[in-house]
Amino acid sequence: MILVGAVAYDPKAVTIWEGIRDHFSAQGIAMDFVLFSNYERQVESLLEGKIDVAWNTPLAHARIRRRTKNESVSLGMRDSDRDFRAKIVARRGAGIPTIQSLPGHTLAVGSRDSTQARILPLQFLRKEGVDLSKVKILPFDTDVGKHGDTGTSELEVLRALHEGRADAGAVGDLIWVNEQAAGHVDSSKVEVLWATPPFDHCMFDAMPSTPKEKRDLFQKGLFSMKWENPRDRRVLELEGLKMWMAPREEGYASLHEALDHDEK
Amino acid sequence: MSTSMSVVALDGGDLPLGGGLLALLRPALSLLRPGGQLALISSAPSVAQDLPAWCRVEHHAYLGAEAMADGRTTHRIERGSLGVPRAGDAAPPERADPSTGFAPRGAAVEPGGPVYPFTLVERDHVIPPETGSLYEQAITSQWVAARDVPWATVKPLPDALERALGQTMTFLAENELSALYVPSNFLPRIHPAYAEVAMFLATQLNDEARHIEVFLRRARAGGGGLGVSSVTTSQSLLSLLELTDFTEAAFLLSVLGEGTFLDLLKYVERFAPDEATRVLAERARVDETRHVHFGLAHVRHALGHDPALYGRLEAAVRKRAATMASAAGVPAPLADALTILAAGGADPRGVRKGHEAFRELMETMHQNRMKRLEHAGFSPEQAKTLSDLHTPNFM
Repeated sequence: MILVGAVAYDPKAVTIWEGIRDHFSAQGIAMDFVLFSNYERQVESLLEGKIDVAWNTPLAHARIRRRTKNESVSLGMRDSDRDFRAKIVARRGAGIPTIQSLPGHTLAVGSRDSTQARILPLQFLRKEGVDLSKVKILPFDTDVGKHGDTGTSELEVLRALHEGRADAGAVGDLIWVNEQAAGHVDSSKVEVLWATPPFDHCMFDAMPSTPKEKRDLFQKGLFSMKWENPRDRRVLELEGLKMWMAPREEGYASLHEALDHDEK
Repeated sequence: MSTSMSVVALDGGDLPLGGGLLALLRPALSLLRPGGQLALISSAPSVAQDLPAWCRVEHHAYLGAEAMADGRTTHRIERGSLGVPRAGDAAPPERADPSTGFAPRGAAVEPGGPVYPFTLVERDHVIPPETGSLYEQAITSQWVAARDVPWATVKPLPDALERALGQTMTFLAENELSALYVPSNFLPRIHPAYAEVAMFLATQLNDEARHIEVFLRRARAGGGGLGVSSVTTSQSLLSLLELTDFTEAAFLLSVLGEGTFLDLLKYVERFAPDEATRVLAERARVDETRHVHFGLAHVRHALGHDPALYGRLEAAVRKRAATMASAAGVPAPLADALTILAAGGADPRGVRKGHEAFRELMETMHQNRMKRLEHAGFSPEQAKTLSDLHTPNFM
C-alpha cells in the first residue's frame, strides 16, 4: 500500500484523490491518501515516514530538499508546474511604465507562503534592482498554510488593482491567463508590466527511505493517466493539468535563492 | 470544421489576450491540424507577455516573436495535439460512441467527454431508413381533439349501447396509456446519433396522448361514463411494460399490438353510433397505421441484418403467451361491448348479427396479423404460429 499525502486546499481535493485512487486501483496498484490541513504538517509527516509520498507545493518541496540535504526523491509533476511565471500587473494610469518605477507606489502581493504571488515575484524584483524598501507592499495573507494553492490571495490582488487600492500587483500566470480567458480581467484598467523568469511549481516528493518498489509503482500509476480517457480527464481537469511529467530540479533554483535571502 | 490547413495568418490588431484576442485566436487555431502554424500579428505589447503563458496552459507551442518594420510584432504558434475535436459523422454511424453524449450528429466532438448511459447504439437495430419520411408524415398529420372531431353529433343512446360504447372507449384508453408508456422506456436509451428515431417516437407519444384524450372524452360525452378494466388487459399490458429490448418491444407493441388495433378501430368506425365516434376512431387509426409502419420498418431492417433475431422474437412471443396462459380469451366486458356495439343495441335479433361481426373481427385480426408478420420477413408457418400465440387482449 502506497500512502500519499495531499493538502485539502479545497473540497475538490477529496474528489481528485478518490479519482486518482480509483485509477491506481484499476491498474492493480494499492494506494490510499491522507489529507492534511496545511503543508507544514504534511512536510513533517513525510520526514517522519508517516506517509510514503507527499504532493508538495514548491515551497514544501524546497523545504524537503533542504531538510534532507537534497537526498529526497522527486517523483513527478504536472505539465502546468513547468516554466511557471509570475506576472507583475499594473493599473493603467498609475504612472508605472516599467518595474523600475515601482518605488513610491503600492504593490499588492499574495499570501506570505505563496511562491507565485509573493516569494518569487519579490525575489525577482530584487534581482532586477528594484528597491523594495521604497515600495509600499499591500499583502493579502489569506489561507496561510496552503502555500497559495487556493488562489484567493491572487484574486484579492486583482480585485485591489481593479478597485484602485493598489497601483501594481503580483500574480501567478495561471490565474492571470485563466482570469483573462474567463473574462474577469478588464484590460482597459489593468495590463501586464513584466513577467518573471520561469520557475517550477508542485512536486511529488518521497523520502530516500521510501522503498524503491513503491516509488516506481507510484510513478507507473501516475504516468498512465490519460487526458483522452474520460474518467482520468475529469480528475486531471480538477487538478489543473493535461499530463503528468517527469521531475526536474533546476526549476527550483530561484526559490532556493529566495529562501537563502530570507534566512540571512 | 476543416482541420486540413497547415498555415494561418491572423491580424490581432491591438487587442490584449484578455480583451478579445482569444475570440480570434482560438477559432484560427482550430482551423489547423496539430503541428500546423499560426502567425499572429499584434500591436499590443502585453501579448508578448500573455501569449506564451496561454500557449503553455493550452499545450500549443509558442515558437517566438519577430519585430516588423512598422513596429508591430509577429508571434508564431504551433498548434498542439491535445483535445483536438474529432470530425463528426454526417450519416448515422454503424455503431455510436456513448461518449459523444448529446452532441448533434455532424458536430465535431472534443475527446475525453463523459460516457453517457445510451445502450441503443447499433444503427441496424435502431434506425430503419424510413424513419425520416415517417417523421415528416407524422408532423404534417397532427390533429386537435377539440377541433377535429364533430362532438356536437353525440346524441343520447339506448342504455345498453351507451354502456357498450363506454366500455369500448375505456379499453381503448387503457391500451393507449400503455402505448404512451412503453416507448418512453426506450427513448432515453437511444443514442442521439439516431435522434430521428427519438423524434419520431415523440410524435408517437403525442399521438397516444391525443387518443387517450378523445377516447375518454367520448366515454363521458353521452353520460355513460367509463367501464371496467379487466385483469387480462392488465396482465397483458404489464408484460409489454416489462420488456427491456427495444426491438422486441417494437415487435410486440407496434407490429402485433397496434397492428391488431387497426382492425379494432376499423370495427368501431364501421359500427359507430354517431359521426364523432366514427371520426375519432378513423383519425386514431390513421395515426396507428404510421406507428405500425415504423414498427414494421424497424423489425424488418433489424431482421435483415441479424437473422438470429427471428428466434429471439419468437421466444419473446412465447414467453409472453406463457405469462398470459391463465387468460381464457378476449376480456369478457370487451367481448360483450363489441357485440352490443355491432348489434346497435340489446335487441336479440340484432345481437345475433353483432356476435357474427365480433367473430369475423377475430378472424380478420388473425389474417391481417399473419400478413404483417410475413411483410416483416417471417415465413407463413412462423407467421401463423406467432399470430395464434398473440395475446387475447389484442395489445
